[in-house]
Amino acid sequence: MRAILRHRLGAASVTFLLLVALLAVVGPWVAPYDPLAQNQDALLQGPSAAHWLGTDNLGRDELSRLLAGSRLSLLAALEAVLVGLVLGTVPGLLSVYLGRVFEWTTLRVMDAFVTLPFLVFAVAMTALLGNGLTQAMLAVGILVSPAFYRVTRAAAFPVAGAQYVEAARLTGAPAWFVLRRHVWPKVLPAVAVTTAATLGSSLVIVSSLTFLGIGIQPPEPTWGGMLATSLEYLFQRPTAPLVPALLVILTVGACNGLADALRDVTGSREARRVAA
Amino acid sequence: MTATLDRPAYATSVAVPVPRRRRFALLRLLGRTIGVTVPVFLLATLVTFLLGAFSGLSPAGQLLGDAATPADVARVNAELGLDRPVLVQYVDWLGHVVRGDLGTSWLNGVSVTEQIGQRLEVSLSVAGFALVIGVVVGTALGVLAAVRQGSWTDRAVTAFCTLISTLPPFVVSIGLIVVFCVLFPLFPSAGYVSPTENLSAWLTLITLPAVALSLDAVSDIARQLRTGLVAAQRENYVVGLVVRGLPPRRILWRHVLRNGSGPALSVLGLRVPMLIGGAVVTESIFGMAGFGRFAADGAVRGDVPVVQGTLVVAIVVVLLFNLLVNAALVRLRPAAQRGF
Repeated sequence: MRAILRHRLGAASVTFLLLVALLAVVGPWVAPYDPLAQNQDALLQGPSAAHWLGTDNLGRDELSRLLAGSRLSLLAALEAVLVGLVLGTVPGLLSVYLGRVFEWTTLRVMDAFVTLPFLVFAVAMTALLGNGLTQAMLAVGILVSPAFYRVTRAAAFPVAGAQYVEAARLTGAPAWFVLRRHVWPKVLPAVAVTTAATLGSSLVIVSSLTFLGIGIQPPEPTWGGMLATSLEYLFQRPTAPLVPALLVILTVGACNGLADALRDVTGSREARRVAA
Repeated sequence: MTATLDRPAYATSVAVPVPRRRRFALLRLLGRTIGVTVPVFLLATLVTFLLGAFSGLSPAGQLLGDAATPADVARVNAELGLDRPVLVQYVDWLGHVVRGDLGTSWLNGVSVTEQIGQRLEVSLSVAGFALVIGVVVGTALGVLAAVRQGSWTDRAVTAFCTLISTLPPFVVSIGLIVVFCVLFPLFPSAGYVSPTENLSAWLTLITLPAVALSLDAVSDIARQLRTGLVAAQRENYVVGLVVRGLPPRRILWRHVLRNGSGPALSVLGLRVPMLIGGAVVTESIFGMAGFGRFAADGAVRGDVPVVQGTLVVAIVVVLLFNLLVNAALVRLRPAAQRGF
């Protein structure tokens, strides 16, 4: 952890992510207006002292909506990453130990997941299983799991056959001990890098989905939803997409920066090969 | 065997085996490819089918409206064969899919195959153009960075690639519209015209969405190609070629590029699902009635056959493209065969 903070890019990324997380947590208390309150006297205004980022087509304060939207977007992305982490890492580890049939099956299942186009599948799953961000994130989580699966497998594979592991097993170390003591330290850095990188791509997917209006009910503010509204009124207010777009880009960039920093610090070669 | 004399020494050691054995190896390769592709196809389509089966949506509810009695619903379900076990339904459905019949839309009763066929041209235009931009620009940047290794050009290319890979396609699309349609009206912001009607209009309409869609591919290919070329340049045979006095340009294009482009090609194969997925967003931003938009609309309306049909077509496109990439890899580097 300290090594990441010494890494210049890593420190900047962590600082920015913490800032965004902080805004997402305290957002509802510091927001100047109710993100859902409409004001017919102030439609599509530019930035001013009363509304720092202006107002949208219903006179809602953009800054307040942005703060409220951060929480939803970040939570959704985290949800997807957690699902992917569990669905990818566990079979990835097991595939090294449970024999050829399990290995072949999980490999093909992961291949099948890679084949399914991300957004189309997420859109299909949300629509068919009921409109909600949780369903969408479940779909996204399933589709990002192959990245975790491969990284875990690549990291655990050399360890499983290593002589010191064999020695540990021969001296009677139980399987969970070998897993915790020898395999996990090798797998952890690779998984950490993938988690950071996946968080970035999940954020992109969450904003893409909410941009399309999938997975949310209309008044609820999200980054993607705000961009969609700003696009409709682009000719009246061409600067409107700037701040939400910048926020998305910088957050995604910070996730990727963190992934790069983690990779440099831990020297995880497996993660580089898969993430690249 | 005079042709082999031209080849660099590394290639002869692999590519010269007796023709009969070579044909045998190719057959085995084919067998293994099918052995992997077919299960993947079956699994992916099974997921697609189950998604619809477990959605709880049924055509009976949509056909009959709210006033339907349970008996009516049961009758319609029996007519459509929806009361049979799920696996039987899947096999039946797959049988139709293999023959190119994706069923009919629950909402308007039009054949899904036909509707996808009409819209595929739009998406293939955009995704294909994006792929072309990705390959051309990505190769140019990658080769440039590898040749000028360590210079500021190299660093600029790397920084540029890192930057564009963090930009989400829909944000790029909005940016492009703001710049090229609102501030400097050079391009039309929405619509689609078939190339057979008006070629130049077609080109101007697909340019912005294709550029937005291609950025990820550009950065991926450029980065992979740079890494691959840098690694290939360090090989002993390159030193040998330099010592033999071959012109640097010839070494780069004939030998290094051939050996260093493997990773970039593999990444290209992985990019295709993303291109198809990205099409959903770009098509809706640029107001094009394409394949991705069709899928999204079908999903929102709960039209299960439409959603399943679009997913199946996407799966087939992705698998075909992967086969193509694998074949290209093998042709490019005969040693890749051994990896299978």
